[in-house]
Amino acid sequence: MTLMKSIGAAVLGLATIAILSATSANADPLPYPSKVVTLVTHSSPGGGSDVFLREMSKYLGKYIDATFIVENVQGGSGAKAMARVATGPADGSVFYATTPTYIYTSLMSKPQNTYKDMDPLVNIFADSEVIYTRTDGPFKSLQDVIEHAKKERGRWGAANPASLERQAAEQLKRAAGVTPAIVTHEGGGDMMLNVLNGTLDIGIGEIQELRSQLDAGKITLLATFNPERIAEKPDVPTVKELGYDVSLVKFRGLAGPKGVPESTKAIWDEGVKNLLADPDYKKAYTAEVLVPQLIGQKDYPAFINNFGASTEEFLKSTGAIK
Amino acid sequence: MRKDLISGLVLLAVAGIYYSWSGAIADSTLSDEVGAAGLPHALAVVLAILGTLLIGRTLLARKPRTVTVDDSTDESDAGLPRAVGFLLFGAAYVIVLPFAGYVIGTALLIGGVALYEGAARNWTVPAAAIGGGVFYWAIFVKLLGVHQPVGSLIQGLF
Amino acid sequence: MTTLLDIIRLLTETPLVFVAIAGLTWGILGGALPGISASITMALVLPFTYTMDPAQAIALLACVYIGAEYGGSIPAILIRTPGTNSSAATVIDGYELNRQGRAGEALGISLMSGVIGSLFGLAMLILLTEPLSWLALAFTPASYFGLGILGLSVIASMSGGSLIKGLAAAIIGLMIATVGTDPISGVTRFTFDIPDLLGGVEPVLVMVGLFALTELMCQSGSTTVTQLNQKIRIKLPSLAVMNKLKRSQFIGCILGLFEGLTPGGGGSIAAFMSYNEAKRWSKTPHLFGKGSEEGVAAPEAANNTVASTALIPLLSFGIPSSNSTAVLLGGLLMHGLIPGPRLFEQSAQVIDSIYVGSFIAIIAQIGVGIIILPACIWLVNRPRPYRAGFIFALILSGIFTLNNSLFDLGIALVLGLVGFLMRLAGFPVLPMILGVVLGHMVESSYRRSLVLSGGDHMIFLQDPIAVALLSIAFIFVAFSLSRELREARKAKIEEVPS
Repeated sequence: MTLMKSIGAAVLGLATIAILSATSANADPLPYPSKVVTLVTHSSPGGGSDVFLREMSKYLGKYIDATFIVENVQGGSGAKAMARVATGPADGSVFYATTPTYIYTSLMSKPQNTYKDMDPLVNIFADSEVIYTRTDGPFKSLQDVIEHAKKERGRWGAANPASLERQAAEQLKRAAGVTPAIVTHEGGGDMMLNVLNGTLDIGIGEIQELRSQLDAGKITLLATFNPERIAEKPDVPTVKELGYDVSLVKFRGLAGPKGVPESTKAIWDEGVKNLLADPDYKKAYTAEVLVPQLIGQKDYPAFINNFGASTEEFLKSTGAIK
Repeated sequence: MRKDLISGLVLLAVAGIYYSWSGAIADSTLSDEVGAAGLPHALAVVLAILGTLLIGRTLLARKPRTVTVDDSTDESDAGLPRAVGFLLFGAAYVIVLPFAGYVIGTALLIGGVALYEGAARNWTVPAAAIGGGVFYWAIFVKLLGVHQPVGSLIQGLF
Repeated sequence: MTTLLDIIRLLTETPLVFVAIAGLTWGILGGALPGISASITMALVLPFTYTMDPAQAIALLACVYIGAEYGGSIPAILIRTPGTNSSAATVIDGYELNRQGRAGEALGISLMSGVIGSLFGLAMLILLTEPLSWLALAFTPASYFGLGILGLSVIASMSGGSLIKGLAAAIIGLMIATVGTDPISGVTRFTFDIPDLLGGVEPVLVMVGLFALTELMCQSGSTTVTQLNQKIRIKLPSLAVMNKLKRSQFIGCILGLFEGLTPGGGGSIAAFMSYNEAKRWSKTPHLFGKGSEEGVAAPEAANNTVASTALIPLLSFGIPSSNSTAVLLGGLLMHGLIPGPRLFEQSAQVIDSIYVGSFIAIIAQIGVGIIILPACIWLVNRPRPYRAGFIFALILSGIFTLNNSLFDLGIALVLGLVGFLMRLAGFPVLPMILGVVLGHMVESSYRRSLVLSGGDHMIFLQDPIAVALLSIAFIFVAFSLSRELREARKAKIEEVPS
């Protein structure tokens, strides 16, 4: 079974490479109905989604014939940016950078325009979510951490309250049958300090925020919540492999106002596929440990709706929303 | 010390309203023992105690004691209507801005306030108002690139 | 490897000098506009740095930060509006000096104290990044709770006569700080389903409302027309004055150093605390609040120090301790630079240009200040009707910039009214501002600590830093209370014969 799967994956991989190399030979950018495309993000200049969009728009023009500009619509944890895009023109000239935040904000704060008022367009990446600990600490594997949590009170950190990381921590807790304290923070940097100084056993966060301390050898990865192992860190097992059925995809993609024409959406499917194969861009995003995860217009709405539904279920079960 | 009495009552009212609002905070298992409503409840109680103390102190003071030095010496209550009137220009600005747009709205604010504050009614007022509107537009919109409201009125023209 | 030659080359290279001065000037402009915080000023320039050489781009951002931290004090002194959060403490005595017709002096003191703070901060950044970064690591949630309480303890000496009123104002400030998303569970509090409230009420809205709008309203309401004939000149402090100020500047530098290392109010805690400490250690504490030069020097030295020392945790761990350094982190990431120990080895050029650029900017600050400050003084000395209109429009435009939200304007206007009524009723506004600034940190670190300990309050006594900070806070409060009681008694005795 495993053998079949890996062969299947290999074949699929080869096929993808073949398709990618075939299309990326196309030098001409795909014609696009609007000249200027505004990519809206709720993150401030320099924030995660902002850096992602700016980096991407550098290369995107090669594959889709339009000028891409990034607009920061801050405030309301994404509620304002959603309103801006949901009520914007559906001609393919404005899109929103999706991250799990927009689902959480939609559910927790019930703004006027939610993720349901937008059409998911295409998913581009998944961030790698990892469990990490300090290198000179007592924990060498996730099992150590779970064992410790069984014997005495464990201390786990999650980057933000009511976030995907928090959800992962709660699910891992249930799957492993332990009851550690889960301490939420105001961002990954804050939490990393508490892991480094030994206040926390482990932290759950994005690998991007740990890169400097990983390089310096101060932090060790114990596992990843990604469905597959991280290509750059092949030694790090997935949480699922270790026997806890928890995996998550911290997606990064685009969504537009309802009613963007099918033909426009098709351009994006093709364009993003070519973009991800761009050798320069590939180098840049590989360095940032972003995992390309192309989900086209056919499957992305279902993916987002699934994500929304399971998040809603989780939040309801905890009483955070009614 | 009528002021202190009123202040104490206002504090009690604020504490009461805040406490009742805090009832709407969701009780989540993601929360800790203190809970999201923990601090708000404590704050409301402490504020109520402080309000009561203030009222009590005022009522207990038999004769009007010399007031401890406060920084309200240079303002009299008589200024209140004028001062609130001043603030109303700000409220009007907020209402007018989405229609009139940034330049016109700002010019109206500057001109209006200048007249309210007793500027001589001559050509300087409109000149300063329009000049000010354009000047701020140049700084905030052109130089800093802030998206100040364009105004539905202006948008309709083009 | 950095050699003296490298430094000389960087110093003489025209682009870096240009970048540093341009960044500084931009920063002063942004910082001086009310509502436009240091982080917004930096964020506005960030997209332009995208195409620049990485070393210059980062130096530019660092210089904007320095300029903005300084620039915030200009409106604080001239129009009672802190341009940035951390210049709120400067308002107290800076504006008082301005009212006495000494704006030029106040601006001169803030400029020179800022330069001293920045130079001290830069020296710490260059020489002691390694040891100091490990100090930042020693702060646990319990320590942050101690730090927050220490900050709040300042209220005891800022209540101006009535402790009940001071405490009530602080509680209302803390109440305002609870609006938004709960830091532990993520549920919303007091947001009434209004998206603008999800992120809470920005402290700068409260400051602008309580300080600036209240002041404008008071001026409008007052019947006596005061028109000061200010000398339109900036007066740099003489050596004798500098000598008098050195203690308060020293206090500011030290407190700024620590605040820079720790995530928190981004300079505002240090500014308030150094104001308080400068008062305690001053030979003339009675002048504080009535136009003390030291009352301007201490907070300005503190917040300018922070602009450099905040880079220590950023560069060594990649941890931004304030919104401004978060923007700087974004700038680093955009250029593919990952802050951390290896940044110093791999991108020594970037580090050098931050150091050299900052140094140029700090020195240039004196020159830029001398050029632009007289113009600022002239502007605020226009006839009152026009001045009121222009300041009002400036404040409202600046606030809008925060979130592009008219709702924020409404909040600020309401707070202006609240501040005015508080003044009428004799409530001090400073405790309220401290409550808003510190509320989030105190609450979240308290609850986080209890989650860690399983509800056991002993955690605050097991953490050495927390114990130290809490004891200092306790001593402060006891000290201020006893002094206040003594003064009150003395005042009573003096009043009896009359």
